[in-house]
Amino acid sequence: MATLSSKSPQSPPAGPASFSNAAPPLDQERPVVWPARTRTKLGNGLEVVLVEHHAIPKFTGELFFRSGNAAVAERATGLATITAAVTRTGTARRASRQIEEDLRRMGADLSTSAGADTSAIAFAGLAEFADGLLGLVSELAREASFPEAEFERERRQLLEEVRIERTTPGFLAGERLRKVLFGAHPYAQVSPTEAQVAAYRLEELAETYRAAYRPGNALLILLGDFRAAEMLARIESIFGNWRGEKPEARSTVAPPALHGRRVYLVDLPGAVQAQILVGCHSITRKHPDWIRLGLANAIYGGAFNSRLVMNIREAKGYTYSPRSSVSALREHGYFSIHGAVRNDVVAATLAEMFYELDRMRALPVPEDELADARNYLSGVFSLGLATQDGLLGQLATVYLNELPEDYLEKYRERVRALTADEVLAAARTYFDSANAQVVVVGERKAVESQAALWGEMEVFDAQGNRAS
Amino acid sequence: MALDNGLRVVISPERSAPVVTVGVYYNIGFRLEPRGKSGFAHLFEHMMFQGSANAPKMAHIKLINSSGGVLNGSTHYDVTNYYQAVPSNALERVLWLEADRMRALKVDDENLRNQRDVVKEEVRVNVLNQPYGGFPWLDLPPVAYRNWPNAHNFYGDFADLDAATLADVQAFFRMYYAPNNAVLLILGDVEPAQGFALAKRYFADIPAGAAPRFADSSEQEQTEERRGTVEEKFGTLPAVAIGFHAPRRRTADWHAMALLDQALHGGRVGRIYRELVLEKQIAVDAEGGIHYPMGDIFDYNGPTQMVTRLMHKPEYTAGQTIAAFDAVIAQVQEKGTGAEELEQVKVKFRSDYFSALEGGHGGYMPKYGLMHLLACFTLFDNEPQLVNTILEGFLEVKPEDLRGAAQKYLLPARRAIVVRQPVRRNRQEAA
Repeated sequence: MATLSSKSPQSPPAGPASFSNAAPPLDQERPVVWPARTRTKLGNGLEVVLVEHHAIPKFTGELFFRSGNAAVAERATGLATITAAVTRTGTARRASRQIEEDLRRMGADLSTSAGADTSAIAFAGLAEFADGLLGLVSELAREASFPEAEFERERRQLLEEVRIERTTPGFLAGERLRKVLFGAHPYAQVSPTEAQVAAYRLEELAETYRAAYRPGNALLILLGDFRAAEMLARIESIFGNWRGEKPEARSTVAPPALHGRRVYLVDLPGAVQAQILVGCHSITRKHPDWIRLGLANAIYGGAFNSRLVMNIREAKGYTYSPRSSVSALREHGYFSIHGAVRNDVVAATLAEMFYELDRMRALPVPEDELADARNYLSGVFSLGLATQDGLLGQLATVYLNELPEDYLEKYRERVRALTADEVLAAARTYFDSANAQVVVVGERKAVESQAALWGEMEVFDAQGNRAS
Repeated sequence: MALDNGLRVVISPERSAPVVTVGVYYNIGFRLEPRGKSGFAHLFEHMMFQGSANAPKMAHIKLINSSGGVLNGSTHYDVTNYYQAVPSNALERVLWLEADRMRALKVDDENLRNQRDVVKEEVRVNVLNQPYGGFPWLDLPPVAYRNWPNAHNFYGDFADLDAATLADVQAFFRMYYAPNNAVLLILGDVEPAQGFALAKRYFADIPAGAAPRFADSSEQEQTEERRGTVEEKFGTLPAVAIGFHAPRRRTADWHAMALLDQALHGGRVGRIYRELVLEKQIAVDAEGGIHYPMGDIFDYNGPTQMVTRLMHKPEYTAGQTIAAFDAVIAQVQEKGTGAEELEQVKVKFRSDYFSALEGGHGGYMPKYGLMHLLACFTLFDNEPQLVNTILEGFLEVKPEDLRGAAQKYLLPARRAIVVRQPVRRNRQEAA
């Protein structure tokens, strides 16, 4: 429960009443203490991570499976996503309506989803109903019944979603970039076509479920208002007799090597703004350069106070929310820069994006700017331990990527040790501006001539077909 | 606690992590922006990041980011907030920054031109260039309301944004951004006595302003259904939004209506989603709530609605969709929900309330939800302690209260309906 204080202080410390015209310095830092984790593996292979967090009488958790859409991409695009959607609609013991009412009875939220590399059941509920909610999660993970009528309903909803996606500039840009960067690799497939949705078969969903939803393939993270030792005993009794080996890893083809800048224009008739997305290959979370690249990204365009935002938003007013990011998938990663800009500044925006990128590659970052960025990255990292969602996200990153056990504890000191030379080296390696791929989504006639200045151009319609 | 200049200060200590969240809320939102200057309150929010007497353009953002923190601001119906989460060793620096811009905003024409351009791209990316952009938060008010404060375009017509001047910015600042129209909140790793002392040190000598003038936002009683249609330029599905006027905050009806809302809109188990999406399968999505989608039952201070947003299959008409919705409403009006459903709804309501306190704004803005509630309870009710007791009124609601609220508020004569109609022919129909 919230503790609230709005009484006057008993004995206020003395302080000057007049206002200084210089910002006060930072005080002595209080140490960041990452919460203790209980980490174990059950006999059936299920990995368990528990963290006590007593701010509110709730707990939150996620059961991850290390197989997502990429694992079934040869079969059909998005198969793990619809499998996850139908998983929550029935079990051997409960019909859909019963599941939803039971969740409400326990004050719980639950969602099922799949990304490229994982499938997951996420949940949160009142601590007093922990047994019931974990029991339901276990049922969904082990005994989903895949009712035909629920599948057909989900299929139709997905079909409508897929149609609307293809009218959304951000989706169209991201999908095109992934196709360009990943080619024949499963990561190129972001979302199914209408025809692919129409062709899904219920049996494929059930097979996807049986192959992926196994304890040997799973990681359960739980945090909240419980005692770890008691919770571990409950987990053992609820999940302990579940059986299933880790599925065999499948090999994938390498993404294409990209030589030279190319431009991909996606024509969206009626668009009143241009969505720009520039990207190139980069690295995974496990790569030793990850933190160096993270710092380079924060300086380039990852923070509000970054060069990209200062330039194209605060100085030039081209766009509202430009940013750059490093996206790590399990096997490969990519770096990207985005901005939604007014139509007449498409070429000018690309000029600034590449100018700032090349500046990062050419010149070492000045020491004061570097110090600010190190502080930013290490400070924001510690903000993430103060909420249940933030902490769950950080733990998932560590354990899904098999990072070292002390990764969270060591991260801040590693950031603080980075030098301008290391940032320069990371920028030169990963800000691959000469081979960056440029995607522009907009009204063709309004942006085509500006986009074409940046490389050989191909034009697509919103359905993904090549336009002449 | 209040300082002599009228600034209220609320501190909520919780010292498990060395981070602190600081917010300043001003009692002015887009509902009460100057008549004829649509979008001004939000444009002004942007200007608050453009420089103050001792912190020129970008200094605020740079100082927060380089202290290891994140920051933002947002404009709501009745409040505008500015907030940052930082490692707690930056607390004093944050207070200095917030005090500097409360004391003296210092911006020029170039800043205004720049942010006007930024805001236009914000409106394009969020509304004009998105399927269902602004639906229904910008579409419903002009149909549902007759009084300009409630009925105008909150994001702003571009002509109005273009007409805004630096004089308007300074006048708005003097009228609404004085300490007596604000609350300062400090949450997390702070010792209360120290927090109050720092608040005093940095804010006490900011002069109070004249009492701000607020436009009258009251509405005449509505006596017949209101309807409107808006073109959907990109999306492929027709959509319907239905809004019923909601009861005043902190009345018995409001408690009942909040639980009725949870029974109707509480996710997949809510009656509207269950009937329209899962069972009759007329709609493919249904969402809603009181003060949806811009806020919740706590963060408004004037007329608002309980809104339902439906995306329906093109093979059904808007009329058929609304009829199916009406059948759900008729059922709760006739039979209520029954005791068991109400019990479930109360458990979920309590659970959601705890979650709202803890997070509410993603993993990197600790205690945003608690801050937001404390600010609203302070500015609207002068009673921040409500955060500890407000749940009680909801948990006392009886089944007959729910039915009563449905019969009193969910009437066609008290509602507005907006249909969002795709201009493009649906591909499936063409096939």
